[in-house]
Amino acid sequence: MKSAWTWFLLAPPLALALAFFVVPVAYLFWVSLHAASPSELYGASLTLRHYTDVLGDPFYLAIVRRTVGIAAVILGLCLAIGYPVAYFVALLPVRRRMLAMLLLLFPLMVSNVVRAYGWVALLERRGVVNTALRDLRLTDAPLELLYTPSAVVVALMTILLPYMAISIANTLAALDRRYEEAAQALGASPARTFLHVTLPLSTPGIASGTLLVFLLTLSAYVTITLLGGPRSKLLVSLVYDNVTAFQWPRAAALAFVLLALALAFTALILALLRPGRVQGAGR
Amino acid sequence: MTGAPTAGSMLRGVATIVAFALIVVPILIVVVAAFSPNDYFQFPPPGLSMRWFVEFFRLDNMRSAFALSVELALASATIATILGTLAALALARRGGAAGGLLQSLFLAPLVFPTIILGVALLLLYKTIGMPVFAGLLLAHCVVGMPYGFRTVLASAQALDPALEEAGQSLGAGPLRTLVLVTLPLIWPGVLSGWLFAFIVSFGELNTALFLTGPGVTTLPIEIFSYLQFQGSQLVIAAASSVQIALIVILVAVIERIVGIARITRAR
Amino acid sequence: MKEEVDDVRLVNAVKRFGTVVAVNDVSIDIARGSIFSLLGPSGCGKTTTLRLIAGFEQPDAGDVFIRGARVTSMPPYRRDFSMVFQSYALFPHLTVAENVAFGLRMRRVARGDRARRVDEALDLVKLRTLADRYPRQLSGGQQQRVALARAIVVKPAVLLLDEPLGALDKMLREEMQVELRGLQQRLGITAVFVTHDQEEALTLSDRVAVMHNGVIEQIGAPREIYDRPRNAFVASFLGASNFVEGDVVAADASLIVVDTPAGRVSVHGERPIGERARIAVRPERLRMQRGGAQGLPARVRDIVYRGPVTHFYMDSAAGPLLAYRQDARAGEWAIGDEVRCTWDADSAVVLDEGGE
Repeated sequence: MKSAWTWFLLAPPLALALAFFVVPVAYLFWVSLHAASPSELYGASLTLRHYTDVLGDPFYLAIVRRTVGIAAVILGLCLAIGYPVAYFVALLPVRRRMLAMLLLLFPLMVSNVVRAYGWVALLERRGVVNTALRDLRLTDAPLELLYTPSAVVVALMTILLPYMAISIANTLAALDRRYEEAAQALGASPARTFLHVTLPLSTPGIASGTLLVFLLTLSAYVTITLLGGPRSKLLVSLVYDNVTAFQWPRAAALAFVLLALALAFTALILALLRPGRVQGAGR
Repeated sequence: MTGAPTAGSMLRGVATIVAFALIVVPILIVVVAAFSPNDYFQFPPPGLSMRWFVEFFRLDNMRSAFALSVELALASATIATILGTLAALALARRGGAAGGLLQSLFLAPLVFPTIILGVALLLLYKTIGMPVFAGLLLAHCVVGMPYGFRTVLASAQALDPALEEAGQSLGAGPLRTLVLVTLPLIWPGVLSGWLFAFIVSFGELNTALFLTGPGVTTLPIEIFSYLQFQGSQLVIAAASSVQIALIVILVAVIERIVGIARITRAR
Repeated sequence: MKEEVDDVRLVNAVKRFGTVVAVNDVSIDIARGSIFSLLGPSGCGKTTTLRLIAGFEQPDAGDVFIRGARVTSMPPYRRDFSMVFQSYALFPHLTVAENVAFGLRMRRVARGDRARRVDEALDLVKLRTLADRYPRQLSGGQQQRVALARAIVVKPAVLLLDEPLGALDKMLREEMQVELRGLQQRLGITAVFVTHDQEEALTLSDRVAVMHNGVIEQIGAPREIYDRPRNAFVASFLGASNFVEGDVVAADASLIVVDTPAGRVSVHGERPIGERARIAVRPERLRMQRGGAQGLPARVRDIVYRGPVTHFYMDSAAGPLLAYRQDARAGEWAIGDEVRCTWDADSAVVLDEGGE
């Protein structure tokens, strides 16, 4: 009786999730195991070639290394800047905190292409930075700021920073103030209180922020393309290129290598930070 | 906070200022550029002009991309929120392994790399022959459903379970309990879920990248194409500003209705 | 003898949650127009039993009958009952009047009738003036009355109440107890309520079922289960009790003599000679005498003054003894005094085994 009603409610969303999420991804994996074909979407024979190619070819490995490297740098910067910001926001009185959260949330609602365009406008040859430098007589020729890995890092870092800040701020704001007070009553200085009490208790926020930033970095095709140009391609760019070249099995394999990176990183973070052990530390 | 500012709090304040500058400046640049009277960006701007907005609405492809984005967002947000609400109501009181698994499934699109979803759906659509708009709509429903699911789940779980039982004890069957007791109490969660699904769809890139086609493009993809093939043009700044403006209006309206707390808590 | 119709019947009901048996072969008959309470410590299964009657839980075995109809597989919204919940569960988005009218709407009562009956119900709980307020604007006691009005306005076959007075403070609770009983008697509704407060159960009910670990230890009228508890659990749960034990040395028609370590006592009951018997005596029935040959010798260990009653804690060879004296004067007894404890043979009770 109650179960029937539950299944009735569950059927439409479950159908959507299965038919247009689970099934396509599984199908993609299935295709990645096939040989390429010039005329069809994919060939008839099964092969692991696409995967072994990626893992064996120095070209692909270099791309993977560059992808992970850039993601790591972005992650580090987001953490380094995001944590203090989150701390600041978490300490604000309720009303102002809500406003700050909304201000952090708002940029995330603006499409990434718009935000990337802002950085293009800043960094391009006749962009804001170069024009300002020239007007201030600091340079003669425009600097090549765009189409470099650094441009990708800077742009993506600012685009993804709010995710990190909001994640950590939510966790910090929910922390019972009394934990810190107890530590200070036991003789811990503010620095040690932070290190031994606040920081560990904020690991759930750090974990979710880190995962979000890393995963979004892997997927950020538009930003990477606009700011990195043809010479700073990352793994996701290869996926796109292969799709437009109708190399479906290869594109699929590369997509799953991307997914594997994401999963590996998730497992790493969960094992390192073990956010589960601090659940329930809130008020 | 009492007492003199400590080294820690100064550091935090500086970091916050730097962060906000880095985050907001690029967006501000785009908006200011949109009002430039010239062909290029200048700071400070010599004057304000609406010419690029006029140009934006004059260009057929821009106009239709904007219209499509709005239609797509309205439709997908509505469907996604309805489905997300159904799922949340079904799972609100259901614990255990099955319930946990289903919850993870419905929340998965939030963390799953949408670029892979885009590729996978394009492959599927090519295999079965799916029309472009329908395919795009379904993709955005998948991407938007977790938002409604999450907010309604939170609202439903916060309800006293006795309320639904009280409805039943007074003779209301499951459907009437849903309509007369549950829905009136969770509608803010439904509304804020809809808002997020709309905003996400309106700015979505990764699935639209693969699933749009000739004549059927969304505004973000149109902007991206312009940037890739025609370089930086100020009409793009106008297009971007229109996108931003729509979002600001929507958030302001919903905030009036459900309050800031609901919107920020939803994240 | 007037034939009483049972409004509610549970027949051999069993309910398991995983490996825990919350309700273990429970059978109950509740006469029309009576107040029945399910009493016991938390976790004893009383709330689950109530929910079986309501239909919010389905029994794994056994049946539920309401007014003679077998409702075991019927969902709650089709059963003829209404319920007052522990948290009141007033619909926050409806006014007091709309809350009370809800059940009538479900039963498709015409609008004019509906308004009239809502007014009547609110008059009964004396809340007519608050009809247009919202639940969050009311105090706990007022919310409780609205919950009550909402439940009785539909004239159910049985009214279920889940710890209805639990959230109220002591004075309000006692006031509501009296009002509740008055209301029930006036309307003649069959009521079943769940409580862990033995005083409340004894005050309000026509019959009480004492539950423990999913089993009914004893059912009876309040006086019966208080004066004649069947086992040690019931005896202790309903109030303080003295326990003495010994071998049965003599037995006749209705009396047995038990040889305790402190001496011989007589008690009404039946037990074969040579068997072990356990006796319970309420502290207020214990008499304290100086000297004499009757009763059990004991020594006063502690005296606690409690206003209308003074507690005397004593030690005897048969174990600790407790007496309540209502008119003890200061200085009448002192710690260390030798005392003889006696009681009337029919003030004590022989306990069954089990129920620990």
